[in-house]
Amino acid sequence: MRDILGLVAKRLGLGLVTLLVVSVLIFFAVELLPGDIAQAVLGQMATEETLAQLRVEFGLDRPAVVRYFDWLAGAVTGDFGTSLIDGEPVTAKIADRFVSTLFLAAYAAVIAVPFAITLGIIVALLRNSIFDRVANVVTLTSISSPEFFLGYILILYLAVKWSMFPAIASISTGMTFLELLERTFLPALTLVLVVTAHMMRMTRAAIINLLASPYIEMARLKGAPPWKVIVRHALPNAWAPIINVVALNLAYLVTGVVLVEVVFVYPGIGQLLVDAVAKRDFPIVQACCLIFAATFILLNLAADVGAILTNPRLRHPK
Amino acid sequence: MSMFVIGYYAALITASCIAAYFQNRKAFMLLFSLTLVSFVLGIVGGVPALRGVTIFAGILALAAGTSYAFREFLIQVCSPAIAKELRTAPLTAAFGMFVIFTYAIAGIFAPWIAPFGQSEVIASAFEPPNEDMLLGADQLGRDMFSRIIYGARNSVGLALVATVLAFVIGALAGLYSAVKGGWLDQLSGRVADVIMSVPSLIFALLILSIFGTNLWVIVLVVAIIYSPRVFRLTRAVAGNVVVMDYVEAAKVRGEGDWHLIRKEILPNSTAPLIAEFGLEFCFVFLLIAGLSFLGLGIQPPTADWGSMVRENATLISFGDITPLIPAAAIALLTVAVNFVVDWMLFRSSGLKEQ
Repeated sequence: MRDILGLVAKRLGLGLVTLLVVSVLIFFAVELLPGDIAQAVLGQMATEETLAQLRVEFGLDRPAVVRYFDWLAGAVTGDFGTSLIDGEPVTAKIADRFVSTLFLAAYAAVIAVPFAITLGIIVALLRNSIFDRVANVVTLTSISSPEFFLGYILILYLAVKWSMFPAIASISTGMTFLELLERTFLPALTLVLVVTAHMMRMTRAAIINLLASPYIEMARLKGAPPWKVIVRHALPNAWAPIINVVALNLAYLVTGVVLVEVVFVYPGIGQLLVDAVAKRDFPIVQACCLIFAATFILLNLAADVGAILTNPRLRHPK
Repeated sequence: MSMFVIGYYAALITASCIAAYFQNRKAFMLLFSLTLVSFVLGIVGGVPALRGVTIFAGILALAAGTSYAFREFLIQVCSPAIAKELRTAPLTAAFGMFVIFTYAIAGIFAPWIAPFGQSEVIASAFEPPNEDMLLGADQLGRDMFSRIIYGARNSVGLALVATVLAFVIGALAGLYSAVKGGWLDQLSGRVADVIMSVPSLIFALLILSIFGTNLWVIVLVVAIIYSPRVFRLTRAVAGNVVVMDYVEAAKVRGEGDWHLIRKEILPNSTAPLIAEFGLEFCFVFLLIAGLSFLGLGIQPPTADWGSMVRENATLISFGDITPLIPAAAIALLTVAVNFVVDWMLFRSSGLKEQ
């Protein structure tokens, strides 16, 4: 047991270090800006005095390292500074949108995960059959399509032609949960399609890999019934790869959500990020990037820790 | 019941019987399950649904026929050694090669194929298709078809340049790390870890917000984002080759690092690298398409598939599928490359799943 805790602690420490390095990257990337933020805001025509004034206002007269630690301390306590465009606090802008994005991602995940894993296991058991071939081509097509292609196809058929769901996922605070589910159904479905394809393929590969190992053959040879081979022999070792697959795909969702939000005009953090990039509103870009990167790193971390915890060889040491 | 429906079921059942008679189990199962599914579809969706199935099957058959013919053509054209390999290619891979070939032709000969220039305004906005314009006009009155043809050159070309650059960076770093080892190896490994720990789209957005949407910035950023994948693979493959005796012999002979990389290691690790090139291209292509769609990629008036989708998206709410054609072009190329890569991976790994 102590071995496991040690391993997990080590992995968590590594994750924390990665996060720190990434925060450095995000902060100092903006420092690479030709000129500086004050110049970017005021443009070419600015006079020296207004530039100097703005630099003091943004605290640009202090060294970059000091500002980095300020920013980091603020980020940890939930204060990301103020927007360059309208001077409003970034946190206030992000908070609601972040919840919306999490809701969308969770909605997609709740549908996709059980669906994809079940299908993945079925396909692995039926490998090389017609069903498997068809599933292979379909999932490959789904992975290869850009998210906006799938999104617009769903809009075209489910919203415009058959008018079953709203094309634009506008949400407001007064809505009931069911209304919310209906309004966000199409963006969630787009994400489900992309993620399911990924997850199915990875689950299939993991299970086939497992079924090829000698101990499964031994179980078959000794006459264990097929369901028992799967449940008793394969599954305990399959958890690690499956948890890995789930976490990796949830991490993938984080990126996919940006494009989907833009397609469906969903008021989430991804759309905010894209707008901020176009307007060059750096505090918002930095905050959004940090949040996305942290979620991504966290989920990858969860994948590793899950793999460690479900490893039977570690749980039952000799 | 219309003649179409009677003919539809008659054809399916006859085909099933023929398959059964010739003991072709797979074909029979496929055809007969299609018959059964058609019953349900016919009840739910009526004749239009069955027409849809027929059209879909027709397209599928056409694609299969084209791929078969294209594979035979390649076998005839290529040298015996390559022809032997090509014979093992499944139809999906042949289809992929055919699509890539078509795109290459469209991209290279774009100015001769396209009836109009890519930024030439020739009609009013969103004019419907007529005999001059195959697919109608876009939001500024430019010919949609010509822009799609030019898009093959611009979008694919950009992605190709970025992929090659990513490959050069990643593969060189990987090979040098494998040969040198030590601190260089450690350092490049950690740098790759950090780059891979940030989601690619987010990373690209961050950098583009700082340097603006310049073409070279896009190429460079995308190349840097995807080079760690190449680095890891090259490092792993080359790591296995470096410990071989013949590399040791070359070292003892006093050959330099560059010779080791070029003459000893590279020739023995090409197969997985070629497959990786295909995969990498798909990732890069999709990322750049996504950036263009967000309005941060190739800037107008240059024709580009991602931004074309965005610009004409309003048409979709009127039930028009034209804006989806560039998106479909992106998807089709990615699928095609994936099909070819699948076959190459299967061949190079000698992987025969049980």
